[in-house]
Amino acid sequence: MAQPLPRTTLVFGLTPKAIRARLQQAFLYVLVIVVAVYALFPFYWAFATSFKTESEMFQSARYLPRNPTLQNYEYVFGDGSFLLSLRNSALVSSAASLFALVAGSFAAYALGRLRFRGRVALLYVVLSMTMFPAISILSGLYTIVRELGFFGTSLSLLVTYPVFTLPFTVWVLTSFFKGLPAEIEQAATVDGCTPFQTFRLILLPLTAPALVTTGLLAFVQSWNEYLFALNFTATNPSAQTVPVAIALFTGESDMQEPIAQIMAAAMVVTIPLVALVLIFQNRIVEGLTAGAVKG
Amino acid sequence: MMSEKRKPGDRHLLVNALSVVMILIGALAIVLFCLTVLNDPGIQLALNWTPGDGDAPAPSLLLIFLERFGIIVSALFIGAGGFFMAIGWRLRHGHIRTAYWARILLMWLAVGIGATIALTAFNIFNNAAMDRQVVDWGALVEATAPALLSMLGAAALWYWLNRNINSLFGGEDSLIGRETRLAWNLLIPTLAIFVLVAARPLEQTFIRSLTDKRFAGSAVPQFVGLENYANLLTIRLDTVDCRKSDPDDPCSTRANGSIRWESIDRELLREGYRTVANISVGNEQSLAISGLDDDFIEAIGTTVLFTVVSVALELVIGLFMAMVVNSKFRGRGAMRAIMLVPWAIPTVISARLWELMLKDTSAGIFNKILLDLGAIEAPLAWLADPALQIPTAIIVDVWKTAPFMALLLLAGLQVIPSDLHEAASVDGASPVRRFFSITLPLLRPAIAIALIFRTLDALRVFDLFNVLFGRQQLSMATYNFETLVSNQLDGYASAISVIIFIFISIFAFIYVRLLNVES
Repeated sequence: MAQPLPRTTLVFGLTPKAIRARLQQAFLYVLVIVVAVYALFPFYWAFATSFKTESEMFQSARYLPRNPTLQNYEYVFGDGSFLLSLRNSALVSSAASLFALVAGSFAAYALGRLRFRGRVALLYVVLSMTMFPAISILSGLYTIVRELGFFGTSLSLLVTYPVFTLPFTVWVLTSFFKGLPAEIEQAATVDGCTPFQTFRLILLPLTAPALVTTGLLAFVQSWNEYLFALNFTATNPSAQTVPVAIALFTGESDMQEPIAQIMAAAMVVTIPLVALVLIFQNRIVEGLTAGAVKG
Repeated sequence: MMSEKRKPGDRHLLVNALSVVMILIGALAIVLFCLTVLNDPGIQLALNWTPGDGDAPAPSLLLIFLERFGIIVSALFIGAGGFFMAIGWRLRHGHIRTAYWARILLMWLAVGIGATIALTAFNIFNNAAMDRQVVDWGALVEATAPALLSMLGAAALWYWLNRNINSLFGGEDSLIGRETRLAWNLLIPTLAIFVLVAARPLEQTFIRSLTDKRFAGSAVPQFVGLENYANLLTIRLDTVDCRKSDPDDPCSTRANGSIRWESIDRELLREGYRTVANISVGNEQSLAISGLDDDFIEAIGTTVLFTVVSVALELVIGLFMAMVVNSKFRGRGAMRAIMLVPWAIPTVISARLWELMLKDTSAGIFNKILLDLGAIEAPLAWLADPALQIPTAIIVDVWKTAPFMALLLLAGLQVIPSDLHEAASVDGASPVRRFFSITLPLLRPAIAIALIFRTLDALRVFDLFNVLFGRQQLSMATYNFETLVSNQLDGYASAISVIIFIFISIFAFIYVRLLNVES
């Protein structure tokens, strides 16, 4: 290899070309840090606030708590009601995502792999279910929830959450089923499998990654849902989910909002979710890209 | 296994009996449904209504029927009954294809009745628990016994048919027929849920938008035709002059420099028109946009402004983030995870969090940072100042969704082959030139999808406005919510829902055309 010309001036023992590369690299890292701060700073702020005393809320803001305290967390866990709403949220979200997975994978197999009349029309029906705002069916759902006798119970959420979890699950899984090679079924049929056996024994295991993704997204959506939970469970504190509990949080004093305690509660709710997201980030990105749906 | 394969057309007593039973079940379903409708308290009230008991107008029979049962549920019951009868009628030919359909119908009949039994039992237990009473087992048995018996009957019939289907019926089954049956079997749970929690409530919203129904009220609603829509959408444009203390003076202005305009005619004000905005047309005149429901017109304006600005900003920032994360550096995977954090935080919590960060004193970190940087001289009231509210909502929304947008665009970036960039680079194209001539055109499909999804989402923004501003600054969805829940005007709120629905459907239609469902 040809050596660089001897006339080249070296700075810190580096050639100009190497310096340019290093500078570019440094600039890139600056940008990366900017993006990271942008995404994480509010989260950090909630974290820091959750360790601050109530009186510090009225002083000029500081990046670190003056006297870090755990009293906000003690307050949140003090009476059992927040734990109860955590349990409600966990139960409702798991059950809702499980239901979405079972019903959704059935429907997606039918829509993605089977030939029957009305298939395209049904695909449009599923898609149209993702289009209207939840508020536009609130009054109708209220009537139905009342008629079923579910008002004020967790069941009201279980039966209404498929409105947003199911269309999305069906949509993503359908496109996943479509992407599998057609030879699979031909081989299975030759071996004597019925279509349902092909689905259960061969196709379903193949879709396991997509099932994890959509299940997670359905869980996050249900966990974060606010409108239905507020209207169907707010009257009954023992059935409230976490977002409602936090929205209706009243602290020890009635005079002002117990914002530090709210942030402590928010941390308790958000950290498991963020952990889940960090662990499964690849899967989630795939799922979001396939379905392109915001939670 | 198949010891005696029968041919179609070969009659059998049991086959004929099954055929009759199926027809009877279908007829019974239709009759039962009609009886339920007739015995419904609301329908009874309308049927037995006599003029003269008070000033209340006569309840509309049609409206009560639509409200209590609706077109979709009625059609489903009648249709299912008719399907039973049709299958029963065709069963007498003894063809196995029909028998398979009969088997499916019987199975779902048993499951459906089972679900209603579970529901009845749940309600009895729940009511007992709420009243702190012991469960009345007698009432439970009494309420569920007929349904229980018919469920067992349907299940037994299904079991029997399942055992004997090959000996009783004959003929060839086709692969297409088998797939069709399996498909409908698999789709029934999803479709049932869709009818219950999406189609039926949507239908009710459409019906209620034509009435004066009150939310959660017991008053009998009346049809009001398109009055709700007329009230919501009536807009008129007038030209008004600017306000002057003296005819020769220039236009008088407010403290913030905006011109003060004369109000529209007294007569119009009395009719209920309120001016939403004045657009200056020069010559000391302005175009006054007034509507009968100025809050709604304003909410439309707010939502559209919010949508256009936040989606545009999200695209720019998202694209920037996607380009950064797409370049090679250590910790790229961790970075993608970090970008998901704003998305994972529940909107209720992130709105609360931003409320804290945007406090109007230096206790709010946002003001504090800006003060320290010298960008502002005094703390700003981000949440209370009407002029700052929409920018604030945009800031919060952009924070939450720009990283999400970036991830969608990143997926598009990653499929652009890198040799394209290398080739252009060898040819001497600058990075800026490469961005506009290679990256942007190839990214167009990804950008289109991301834009449309975000637009649909932004148009129906709810949580953010509800938590940040309550009633102070309304989006279309929060106005809908306030009308429904706070003002209890269900009919009026339903009309708002329908308008939002149509608004979004127009965008959705474009989206479907662009994405092409069948590809």
